[in-house]
Amino acid sequence: MSGLVQTPEETFLRKKFSAHYGASPIFVLGLDRREFGFGGWEKKIEFRHIAFRNESELRARLVAEAPLYISHSVAYYEFPDARPMPRKNWLGSDLIFDLDAEAHACGKFTCQECLEGVKADAIKLIEEFLLPDFGFSKSELAVNFSGSRGYHVHVVSDAVYSLDREARREIADYVSGTGLSFERLFWNEGKKFFGPKTGQGGFGGKFARAFVSRLSDDAFALSIARKLKKPEEKEKLKSAIAMGNWDNIGIVNREKKLSEKFDEMKLTMAGRIDANVTADTSKLIRMPDTLHGGSGFAAKRLSSPDAISAFEPMRSAPVFGGAPLKVKATEAVPALNIRDFSFGPIPSGETRELPEACAIYLICKKAAVLA
Amino acid sequence: MADLLFCSHYPFSSAAKAHMAGRGMEIVSSYVEKAEGRVREAIETGKVRKVPSLSDAQEEELALYAIARMIVSCANNRYLINRYAVAEAKKTSDYLSSDASAHPEYVGDVAAEFGMRFEKSGSHFLVPLGSYLPCTPRSTDYKLANREVAAGKVLVSSHERVRMLEEAVKKKIERELPIRAAFPDEVKAAGARVLALLPRLETAVVKVGQENYPPCVRRMIEELSLNVNLPHTARVALGIYLVRAGVATDKIVDIFRGAPDFSENTTRYQVEYLRTKGYSMPSCATMDSYGACIAECRCGTPMNFRADSHGGRLARDAGLADYGAYYASLASGAKEEKK
Repeated sequence: MSGLVQTPEETFLRKKFSAHYGASPIFVLGLDRREFGFGGWEKKIEFRHIAFRNESELRARLVAEAPLYISHSVAYYEFPDARPMPRKNWLGSDLIFDLDAEAHACGKFTCQECLEGVKADAIKLIEEFLLPDFGFSKSELAVNFSGSRGYHVHVVSDAVYSLDREARREIADYVSGTGLSFERLFWNEGKKFFGPKTGQGGFGGKFARAFVSRLSDDAFALSIARKLKKPEEKEKLKSAIAMGNWDNIGIVNREKKLSEKFDEMKLTMAGRIDANVTADTSKLIRMPDTLHGGSGFAAKRLSSPDAISAFEPMRSAPVFGGAPLKVKATEAVPALNIRDFSFGPIPSGETRELPEACAIYLICKKAAVLA
Repeated sequence: MADLLFCSHYPFSSAAKAHMAGRGMEIVSSYVEKAEGRVREAIETGKVRKVPSLSDAQEEELALYAIARMIVSCANNRYLINRYAVAEAKKTSDYLSSDASAHPEYVGDVAAEFGMRFEKSGSHFLVPLGSYLPCTPRSTDYKLANREVAAGKVLVSSHERVRMLEEAVKKKIERELPIRAAFPDEVKAAGARVLALLPRLETAVVKVGQENYPPCVRRMIEELSLNVNLPHTARVALGIYLVRAGVATDKIVDIFRGAPDFSENTTRYQVEYLRTKGYSMPSCATMDSYGACIAECRCGTPMNFRADSHGGRLARDAGLADYGAYYASLASGAKEEKK
């Protein structure tokens, strides 16, 4: 406990959180090898270097203290509670991808559009990088909602367990396309112009496949060469690219055009994952299925990576129910929909009686107080 | 089964170790002398000579390798160990290149030594990501984003395969040395002589005025003043830069004062630590991979950046009057981006 005087809101939240932990099972893979960190009203991590021997010990602590944020290390240590860090004796780490909704006008009340955007990012990460390129199996991926405005993908695999920071940074750089040199994909041999084949790995193959598929679109094809109006010319180019021959039709200014198309296609995930999180072998990350003190939502664990497309955070992540609770808005609240209940906008200073899930969301956002 | 030829080419291998353990080793003066010569040569020229294909010489090679490690361990200096490791790794790479045709199975055996599996794919090889990542030299060529990656495997040429094994050998030696043990006086004396070879180049300070700070360094200093939580890698790089640029510890500590988790004692200790360790400045490529590079100065390492040449070119390319104006535009652009 922080020892400081708690606001009535914090006391209330901790009571609700404690009750929740008393009633819900928890599960952490490799629990006794991980470091835990707890946070409160002011800070997401106030205490760290905490270790538990088993689930019941952890759960007892959660019920007793009801931290507003619960994180555990991505790392497994021999002595998770030892300090300073080197004494913990690092054994290995999961590989983490942290995706957050893009900064947007919706600000702290993340809008539906932003949540859809970050969901699409997570699907792209899994389906275009983690499964095909890195060869992870679906059973090695654990996906959870962050509890606020994003998703975490935990890769639990022997293939990544021992990787150091630099190797993890390299993986993050790959996904973001950092250090990717487009010019290296193409080369001239006499009059011939060679590049990636559709069947090859990496960004070359991604580009070749995307390019060939986009050629079916006439506007796209015409922006490359007028000749491509004719279906037979299109087919000719497509089959040449499949073999890595990128220009059997005479494309004017081809390097520049291709490079523009490459950027346009957004094949990389530049700016969409937090590379520092992926590279950090001792990062504390939200423990899946625990509550997020900034929303009152659960960092809901998905049953499988496929479940993400049907997942709706505003419907499935809130854990509190429909009991009425009166709160007073301390700032303007926009129109929201939580657990299929639409409310707002609420002008600053006004009091409303709301279902608990909605009221707790506003309190966690520090946009309302108990009335 | 590994033979003496294999062992002499790859004296770091477990087969070589087993061979030595079977025979036992006596540390004789003539060997210590030769081993010292080997270390000297490695430090001075960056090379270790190949062994004549005679079984006596091959046996000797194994003993010399073992004693050279002891000598380097006695000298116990990071720069020296790294330089020695580079030379031994280079020799391995020469052997791997020639053995690739004469004894192709050797290459696979060396790879297995590091738990690496290269699977033939046409004229190339496929290597699992977990083997690829820890053993690639720092260069744009090996940057994963520029590679063919599929199903958890990376495609490499046979030359690159050798280069990766060279890197693995280098890292192994760097990791294993110094060996902590009691060595004979003769070996210790050789260690002391080798250490004396070292030019006092640790933390060579080249006075760099603030006007010559490159964009990445300026940005980090600015971010600290705005209480941005710089990642560890960036902090270390900034610390090394400032130490090497001849900035006094007090001033460096002041620069770090803005860090949200600033602790005067820790910072002072760490700056002094960097100073005594004499770490070299990360290259621009490394800074880029840390996400700390913000301009294409083409100066190789931030240490080399000079406002009039590199900065002048950046300014001209951007159509601005001078480096100062260029940096100002960069800084304001970056802020807009963050919004």
